[in-house]
Amino acid sequence: MITSHDAIIVGTGAAGGIVAGVLAEAGKDVLLLERGPALSFSQVGRDHLRNQRLSIYGHNAGPELEGNPRVFVDPAGNARTVRPHEPDYHNNAACVGGGTRVYGAQAWRFMPADFRMASTYGVPAGSSLADWPITYGDVEPFYERAEWQLGVAGDGPALKDSIPRRRDYPLPAVPPNPQTVALKRGAQQLGWITSPVPLLINTLPYGGRESCIACKYCVGFACPTDAKNGSHNTMIPRALATGNCKLVTAAIADRVETDEHGNVKGVSYLVQERGKAQAHTARAKVVIVSAGAVESARLLLNSHTTLHPNGLGNEHHQVGRNLQGHLYPRAYGLMREKVFNGIGPGVTLATTQFNHGNLGIIGGGMLADDFIKPPIDFWYDSLPPDLPRWGLANKRFMRDNYTRVLHVRGPVQDVPSPDSRVTIDLGVRDRWGIPVARLSGSTHPATVVAAEFMRERGEAWLRASGCERVWSCRPGLVLSGGQHQAGTCRMGDDPKTSVTNKWGRVHKHDNLFVVDGSLHVTNGGFNPVLTIMALAFRSAAYIARSYFQCDCQ
Amino acid sequence: MRLTEEQQHTLRAAVDRIIPPDDYPGAWQCGVGDYLARQFESDLRPMLDDYCAGLSALEAESVARFQQTFVLLSEEEQDTMLRHIEAGEVLTAWNVTPRLFFNLLVNTTAEGFYSNPEQGGNRKGVSWAMTGFEEPLQ
Repeated sequence: MITSHDAIIVGTGAAGGIVAGVLAEAGKDVLLLERGPALSFSQVGRDHLRNQRLSIYGHNAGPELEGNPRVFVDPAGNARTVRPHEPDYHNNAACVGGGTRVYGAQAWRFMPADFRMASTYGVPAGSSLADWPITYGDVEPFYERAEWQLGVAGDGPALKDSIPRRRDYPLPAVPPNPQTVALKRGAQQLGWITSPVPLLINTLPYGGRESCIACKYCVGFACPTDAKNGSHNTMIPRALATGNCKLVTAAIADRVETDEHGNVKGVSYLVQERGKAQAHTARAKVVIVSAGAVESARLLLNSHTTLHPNGLGNEHHQVGRNLQGHLYPRAYGLMREKVFNGIGPGVTLATTQFNHGNLGIIGGGMLADDFIKPPIDFWYDSLPPDLPRWGLANKRFMRDNYTRVLHVRGPVQDVPSPDSRVTIDLGVRDRWGIPVARLSGSTHPATVVAAEFMRERGEAWLRASGCERVWSCRPGLVLSGGQHQAGTCRMGDDPKTSVTNKWGRVHKHDNLFVVDGSLHVTNGGFNPVLTIMALAFRSAAYIARSYFQCDCQ
Repeated sequence: MRLTEEQQHTLRAAVDRIIPPDDYPGAWQCGVGDYLARQFESDLRPMLDDYCAGLSALEAESVARFQQTFVLLSEEEQDTMLRHIEAGEVLTAWNVTPRLFFNLLVNTTAEGFYSNPEQGGNRKGVSWAMTGFEEPLQ
């Protein structure tokens, strides 16, 4: 059966859900496809060994472990098939809401300089570092829109010197914890400026939903009071409430369909019904690919035809390149006093002092304290390297110090490498027979230099905050992608070095858009989700205006 | 394939050296054996052969080094045994890499002990109360 729509959106994550909401509220007929299911709070559960943050034996938000492989190529060139819960898979959740269903929800804007990285620093050899075709000023109104439409808690004035804004956040910042007090004192001693961490969390009732009850399960889990704001509980319900949006779950887009002239006419997809895959075809005036940086690139590459033998938008072999996420330097310190009070989300205080302006460093990053860490996560992640891994000494450290360890970590701006890349592996197929994504390459060595600099800042912060012992984790030269995956269909003015124009429209296609982290030319020294959301509002408004003559707000 | 009775005894003694009892119960009393029994039927099924081979090798190693079965060694001797295996220093022929087995033993014991009580290895939420993550369960 063939259905017809104004727009088809592939993916319901941070970007896809927003585009669906904007277009459906503009009165347009929207088909919204999601490969995973809609998950309830209890379906996501609270399994400490199988969640989006620690996935030793599986995930709580998809995809299923069997039938969804990828191929990972290590630095020595050895390729192997990986399953979704293995680190080299670079997974993001596969369910309605995508990663926003289970994210920690840090809601950072990028800084003005993050859009002008090549102009600010020059381009190091071997890197594809570039300026965005748009500025912070172009995105600023849409940051504000995302903050107010979804609900962000934060302290605008505290950040105004590094991240300018016209309007404050709609919700007050999360309150301090004992560790906040210690870290604030340390920062003051060092002369560093700090601010509360902005979060897509209802610190007061907002958007018709309740406020946060300060439980211990933010990052990696679902919110018990629905106070964590993702696309699944904000823009997608709004889209569905209009009656204009049809959401199909368990729907795998296998191709963007083009006609004999190469024009995009729709999407073919498979829906799992009673264990069998049923083929469907949908036509639309506009197709929007919002499947995340790995899967969006995979879909464009898999949509090759005789007219587009390399895949759609890939005349210049740019689709899939510049895959970026973040290296995450982490530092830990032991305090004499307890700094843990069990009140979530746990992340409270950040410094943006070192995002730019670091001598000899390209970029840098934000540093903050951490979400509450389940004990097994702490055991794997946070123990001093010289502590025995077993026996009484280990048990007693867990007993005495779980509540006394201060955590500082942060995402370091990735210096992109064109060889960090998503391609298609024709030899490995998923359960529907579709060739899978193949991940290869690594970030640029300059990213590791910046990460090492940030690790040292983290240690310094902990020492100044009163830690008796400090230890840390040294980042290596690896592929960065994961939940912060971005960059694979970067926007730009030159079709030879980019995949889309500044609105996310794929070069040489009139009606094909990519709207998700794939567009990011660079990925900031921040959690990228608010930028993904802001660009989604911006592209959605452009699509509504240009294709449907709607001036939506 | 399941653990033999001898392997089961060795496992019990070994996990109690990984997380020994002190003023809080040790791994076995908290149910890590139950946790592992469930995992051997599911997630750890692909590793079960290695796990069993490691437990048998640990026992053979104990006899070779101390002329005594592992469960009857003193705690100090058991720890000495485990430290040798951790370092990859073995006297007998192993069908599994000693360090691989040791990491598996340590990680799976901690996973059971520190994860959710309903998974079997953290009875009454003992480890969550011990660390301060949660108030003790009633």
